[in-house]
Amino acid sequence: MVIIKILGSGCANCKRLEVIARKVSEEMGLEAQVIKVMDYADIMNYNVLTTPALVINEEVVSSGRIPAASEVHDWLEKAMAKK
Amino acid sequence: MVNTYSFVTLINSGLGNLAAYLAAHVLLCLLPAFFIAGAMTALIPKESVTRFLGRNRPKYISYPAAAASGSLLAVCSCTIVPLFAGIYKKGAGIGPAITFLFFAPAANILALIYTGGLIGADLAFARFFLSLVFGIGIGMIMALIFNKEDTAHDAAADAMFAGNQEMKSSSFILIALLVALLLSGTLKIGLLTNTYATITLPVAGMDTLQESLLRLVPFDPAKGEEGVSAQGAILIVLLALIGWTAWKGLENVFDGLNRWSVISLTLVAITFLCAAVGMTPHAGGLDILVNGKFIGVALSLAAIYGLLVTKFTEDETCSFLWESWKFVKQIFPLLIVGVFVVGVIRQIIRPEWIEAIAGENTVIGNLTGVLFGIFMYFPTLVEVPIAKMFLGLGMHRGPLLAYLMADPELSLQSMLITAAIIGRVKTATYVACVAIFSALSGLLYGMWVDGASILVILFYLTAFLAALFIGLWRVSKRNVA
Repeated sequence: MVIIKILGSGCANCKRLEVIARKVSEEMGLEAQVIKVMDYADIMNYNVLTTPALVINEEVVSSGRIPAASEVHDWLEKAMAKK
Repeated sequence: MVNTYSFVTLINSGLGNLAAYLAAHVLLCLLPAFFIAGAMTALIPKESVTRFLGRNRPKYISYPAAAASGSLLAVCSCTIVPLFAGIYKKGAGIGPAITFLFFAPAANILALIYTGGLIGADLAFARFFLSLVFGIGIGMIMALIFNKEDTAHDAAADAMFAGNQEMKSSSFILIALLVALLLSGTLKIGLLTNTYATITLPVAGMDTLQESLLRLVPFDPAKGEEGVSAQGAILIVLLALIGWTAWKGLENVFDGLNRWSVISLTLVAITFLCAAVGMTPHAGGLDILVNGKFIGVALSLAAIYGLLVTKFTEDETCSFLWESWKFVKQIFPLLIVGVFVVGVIRQIIRPEWIEAIAGENTVIGNLTGVLFGIFMYFPTLVEVPIAKMFLGLGMHRGPLLAYLMADPELSLQSMLITAAIIGRVKTATYVACVAIFSALSGLLYGMWVDGASILVILFYLTAFLAALFIGLWRVSKRNVA
């Protein structure tokens, strides 16, 4: 089970990232839980300076931009391999 | 002595204001601004600036870097808060964090460009320069008052501020070209406004169209209103077309450029060219005046197109277009409503009231400007047409600047969020600083407008800041000892 967290306060970019994350994990057939983190105190705990940020299994993989679907695919694969 | 205005007159005034603004200012001024903001957001990697905001950076680097972050990185309010919290808690500390927080809304590139285009470049420059000086000043003051607390410091936090990414040179050139596009269309210098050739199109009836438009949309030049010409009507139609095609072509541009994206961008280019060229209708034909603006805009557009096609990947171009489109979606609808409301309100507010309170460059006048800014909450950019309305109703440029500086800084929402991060006492101090310095900026700028020499103003500014710093330094010494 992969835990995907989207860090962001709710602007269009964060929503976009959530859509991409959900789509890729569905396409890969992964059992994934997608959580939206909107509280600034929680976001600060992840040591990111800019949102939107993508966290996979508590590891920050990208921040401050919307990564390509292929990148998300690679990260998810790596996360699965680590288990 | 209450004037009753018929509902229809008010609506007419609102619509007229809207039509005039769309036709005149939006196109050559605001549309390039959206693209510039989009390019900055998409193409300037945040690390290229935030790497100067780490905890152990010397002050002469972290303060200017904080200001630079504010102007270059933070065009969207959802970027400002995490960056502010990050710099405060894990980076250079409260000083640069406050400088960033202050300068970001003040140096908002969209607002600056729009202010310059709609009201005047002098006001935009004043806003930028004074915001910079006071932004760094307020940051230093806050740092002095609230002496260093132990900020969370660990390797992970430091890593946030590491990084070596630089901005691509082609990104820089693209932004420069977009600025060139903006300036070609809006700078009022002879080179650009001179007509170099005239082509006459045998299109009849444009002059009657223009006359009926000028009658249909009432305007009062004394109050700074502009009417809608035939050219303006053409541009409004083009704008509507752009809106429709852009929605289809840019909403999902992350999935790639489709036919509609290309069509909408082509329409944008055509609209720029139509807006730049001069048009004089007369009986029996339409004179197209090929002026410097047209040539400048055409050259910039060609260069931008060439650059995008050769030096940027499709992903980067899509990212750029997406960010630009985001701004359009976020700001444009609010702006339209705002401009319409301004048109309505302008009929209701009597100039005498404005002139009585803020017609002269007095302390009271400037404080009133600040109060307007605090209590009249408007969405981003709408404060600019509101300011223009005040100007037309007789407000002096000094209090106007005070209003323009205070308004974006002090919205209730941003104050609440700030308080959640740095606490209520610090936020209250910050708000007081912003209010005082906005009024002061207005006073100084107003003095310049009224004819005082730059040296006198700089003297007052320096004296004030010196007194402030000495006072605070004494206070902090006493606190430590």
